[in-house]
Amino acid sequence: MDELTREFLIESQEGLDRMERCMTDLEERPQDAELIGDIFRSVHTIKGTTGFLGFKRLEKLAHAGENLLGLLRENKLTANREIITGLLQLLDGLRSILKTIEAEDAEGTGDDEVLIGRLEELQLPAQAAAKHPAHAKAGATAHAGARAAAPPTEIKPTQPAAPAPEPPELPAALVPSAEPEPAAAKAPAEAEGEAVRQRTPIAGSAAESTLRVDVTLLNRMMNLVGELVLTRNQVLQATSADPNMTMLSRRLDMVTADLRESVMKARMQPVSNIFSKMPRIVRDLSQSLGRRVRLQVEGQDTELDKSLLEAIKDPLTHAVRNSLDHGIESPEVRQAAGKNPEGTLKLRAAQEGSHVIIEVSDDGAGIAVEKVRQKAIERGLITAERAAHLAERELLQLIFLPGFSTAAAVTNVSGRGVGMDVVRTNVEKIGGKVEIDSRSGKGTTLRLRIPLTLAIIPALIVRSINQSFALPQGALSELVHIPPEEAAGAIEWIENAPLYRLRGQLLPLVFLDRLLMPNTEHKMTTERDNFIAVLDPDGRRFGLVVDGLADPEEIVVKPLSAVLKGIGLFSGATVLGNADLALILDPGSIAMKAGVSMREEEVALGAESELEADAIKSLEYLLVEAAGRQAAVPLTEVLRIEQIPLSRIEYIGYRPVLNFEGQLLPVEDSGGVLAAVEGNPNAQIIVVVCREGNRHVGIAVSHVLDVAAGGDLFEAGTTQRTGGVTLLKNRVTGVVDLGGVAPLPATETAQTEWSQSAGSVA
Amino acid sequence: MSTAAAAVTASAGAIGKDKSAAATMVEVCTVRLGSTTFGVPITHILEIVGSARPQPVPLAPVFVGGLVHYRGDVLTTVSLRQLLDMPPKEGRQDLLVLECAGGIFGLLVDLVGEVLTVPSSDYEPNPSTLDERRRALFAGTYKLKENLLVMLDPEQLDPMRLSAARAA
Repeated sequence: MDELTREFLIESQEGLDRMERCMTDLEERPQDAELIGDIFRSVHTIKGTTGFLGFKRLEKLAHAGENLLGLLRENKLTANREIITGLLQLLDGLRSILKTIEAEDAEGTGDDEVLIGRLEELQLPAQAAAKHPAHAKAGATAHAGARAAAPPTEIKPTQPAAPAPEPPELPAALVPSAEPEPAAAKAPAEAEGEAVRQRTPIAGSAAESTLRVDVTLLNRMMNLVGELVLTRNQVLQATSADPNMTMLSRRLDMVTADLRESVMKARMQPVSNIFSKMPRIVRDLSQSLGRRVRLQVEGQDTELDKSLLEAIKDPLTHAVRNSLDHGIESPEVRQAAGKNPEGTLKLRAAQEGSHVIIEVSDDGAGIAVEKVRQKAIERGLITAERAAHLAERELLQLIFLPGFSTAAAVTNVSGRGVGMDVVRTNVEKIGGKVEIDSRSGKGTTLRLRIPLTLAIIPALIVRSINQSFALPQGALSELVHIPPEEAAGAIEWIENAPLYRLRGQLLPLVFLDRLLMPNTEHKMTTERDNFIAVLDPDGRRFGLVVDGLADPEEIVVKPLSAVLKGIGLFSGATVLGNADLALILDPGSIAMKAGVSMREEEVALGAESELEADAIKSLEYLLVEAAGRQAAVPLTEVLRIEQIPLSRIEYIGYRPVLNFEGQLLPVEDSGGVLAAVEGNPNAQIIVVVCREGNRHVGIAVSHVLDVAAGGDLFEAGTTQRTGGVTLLKNRVTGVVDLGGVAPLPATETAQTEWSQSAGSVA
Repeated sequence: MSTAAAAVTASAGAIGKDKSAAATMVEVCTVRLGSTTFGVPITHILEIVGSARPQPVPLAPVFVGGLVHYRGDVLTTVSLRQLLDMPPKEGRQDLLVLECAGGIFGLLVDLVGEVLTVPSSDYEPNPSTLDERRRALFAGTYKLKENLLVMLDPEQLDPMRLSAARAA
C-alpha cells in the first residue's frame, strides 16, 4: 500500500470518528448547523480524496451521502430519526469499505445499491411518503409527538421564531421545492449557526500544535526510558556511598523520573476515544430492545495508556450492553415501579492515584440475588448449604465465576452474568480489578480499576532455586513467614497436597521450587525459611511458597520470546536494580499449572473464605507504635507500609510531606516520630500509607507491631458506642483519625509554597 | 545482510553454479565449540558480546541457554553446546547477537574467533553421512588449509524454529 493511501485511510478514519461523535449530538440538536457542517466536511473530504485515488465504489457511496447532507446543510431538509439512521448506515458502509481497502488494498466488490437507494429516497421526503405512506406518516406523527419539548425540528417559513411544536398536518408544506421564502428561513438558521460557532470553538484547531507519531516509535522510547530507569537504579546503588556523587545522582534521579513521566504521557489518550463509541451502541441497542435510555458521560478527559485503552474497549462495551439488556427495564415496567420511564446509564472515568477508575452504572432493576443463588447451586458452582450462608455482597461475586455465564444463563437469569468472567479476565490481564455493586430495584454499578500504565509495575522480588523472580503486587494479598522450626506443624498435607491454615481456612500451597524444577530433590520445609505469598488471581486463591523475599521494586516489563512464553508460567522478564535479570511470574498461570481452580470444592471454600476474610478485615486494625504510644489504623485503609530514610521527608512550610511514587503524600506526625529522630541523617522511619476518601495520607510511626481484631467500646451508663477508640488485644487503643489529616494546599498555592520552600528542602 | 547469505544459500542449493561464481568472497565469523570450528555469516551478526552471564530459565526447552539483557531488550539465547548435545562448559561463554527473519536472538558459544574471508569455491555441501538434525542446522562447509569450517545457518538456529522442529 502506498503512502498516499495509508494517509488517506488514517484521515478518513479520523473523519468518520468525528462524524460518529457529531451524529449522536445531531439527534439532540437536529438544527445545529455546525454539526451538520462537520459531518458534511467529513464525507466531502472522503469523496474528494477517494476520486483522486480511484476508489470508485467508495466515491459513489460518499457522493450519495454528500447529496443528502448537502440538503441538510442548506436547510432544505431537517435531520429526523430516519435520516440519522440512514446517515449511520452510510457511516457503517464507508467504514466497511475502508476496512476492506486497509486489508486488501482494494475496495472489494460489495453492492451498495440498497444503501445508495435509501439515501436517495431520504432526499425526497414527499416521494418517500408516497411510497410508504403509512410508514412515513406514522413516523412523522410519532416524531412530532416525541419531540414536543425539543427545539423545532422542521423549518417553518411562516413563523421562523416560534419554538412551538409542529402540528402534524404541516409536513405537506415542508417539501423543499414548495418552500416559499427560502431566504427568510435561512436567515434565522444562519444566525443560530453563528451562535453555535461562538459557543463551541471549531474542532481541530488543536491540530496545529499536535503531531502524529508512530506507536512503534513511542514503544521504542518507552523501552529506552525503561532502560534508563534501570541504569539509574544501578547508578544510585553504586554511588550511594560516595558523598561527591550525591547531588549528581539525585539530579539524574529527578530527570529520569520526569522523562519517564513525559514519555508515559505521550502514550496517554483520553478515555473519550472509547466513550465516544458508546452513544451509538446505546442508541442502537435501546431501539432494538425497546428501552428509553439517557447516557451520561463524565470524566471524558481522563487519560489512559493507549494499549490499556484498547484492552478495556471490549469489556466496557460488554458492560454497557449488559446494563441495557439486563439492567434497565422497559419504560412500562419502570413506570409501574414508580421510576422515570427513561433510564439513565452513566459512564464515569476518574483517576485515583496510580489507577483509573471506570464506572458503568445504571438505575435499572439491579441483580436478582436470589436468582444468582439458585443459578449457582444449579450449576454446581457452590453447595446449597454454603449458598445459604453467603451474604448478598458475596453472592454478587458469583457472577464472575466462569461457568456462570452460559447461553442458558442469558434466558434463565434476569440478573446479569453474561460473560462477566470474560470481562474480569480481560481486565485482570492488564493488572486491573473489577468490582460490582448492585441494589435490587435501584441499579447496578460495575467498577473497573485500571493501572495507569502497563510497562512499569510494582512487584515483589522473591527468591527460589537460587534465582530472583518478580511477583506482580496486583495479585498479592499478604505474606506469611514460617520459620523452619515451625514448618512441621504449620504446613499440613492431604496425601501430597500441602495446605496452610490461614485464619482458620485451608489455603492450598504451591512450592515454587518444586514447580520450576520438578525432577530435582528439594530442601524439606523444615530445613529452610518458608515464605508464603498469598495470591488470588482470577479468584483462585493459593499460597506460593518461596525461599526468600527481597525488596519490592518498580519493574520495567520486558516481553519474552514466544518460545519462553510457551512455558506458560512467566509473563515477562525484567532487569533488577543489581543488574540481574528476573523472570516475572504469572500468578494466574501458576494457579492453572498447579491445578488450583475455582471449581474444586476446597478452592471454592478458599474463595469464600476470602470474602469472609474481607468482612472480618473491616474490624481489623494495624497496631502501630509512635514515639512510645500505641495507636490503631483501620486495616482496610492501609495501602502500604514503607520504610524510608528520614531524608526523603520534605516540608511544605511546616508540613511534612513525602514524594511517594511521584505523588505528594501529606505525612501525619501527631506522635512526634519525626521530631524524635530529627538531626540524625541516617535515621529510618516507617510511613504507613493509608487511603482516606479519595486521597492517600501517610502516618509516621516508629514501629508496626501487629494486626489484631478490634472490639467496640461502649460508654458506661449511656451504652453509646464510642468513636475514635477500639479495644485491641484487651487494651483501649486510640484509632488514628485519617480524616483529620489536613489536605495539602490546592493548585496555585501549592506551587508557590513549593518554590518558597524549595530552599529549605535541600 | 543479503550478499553473503545469498551466497551461502545459493551455494547450498546449487553446487553447479559454484564454479562460475568462483571469485565471490564470503566473510565468516569463526566460533569455537570444543574442538570444532564453526562459521557464522557476518551479515547475520548484530553484535559480539564477550563473556555473557545468561540467566537460566526453568522449564525452558533444552537448547535455551537462558536470558541476556541486550540494549533494553531481554534476549533468548540458544546454547550451541546444549543444541548439539554436548556437555555444558564451565566458566565464561561468548555471545553472538544474531538477527534472522524471525527476530533477534543470542547464540552462546565457547569462544568467538577471528573473521575470515573465504572464497566460495572452497565450499562443499553437508556430507550425506551427517545425521538429519545436524544436516538441518549446518549449511555446508568451507575447506580451510588446516581444518574444516562448518557453516551454521542462523535462520535454522532461531529458537522459534528449533522449538517447532522439536515438537514435530
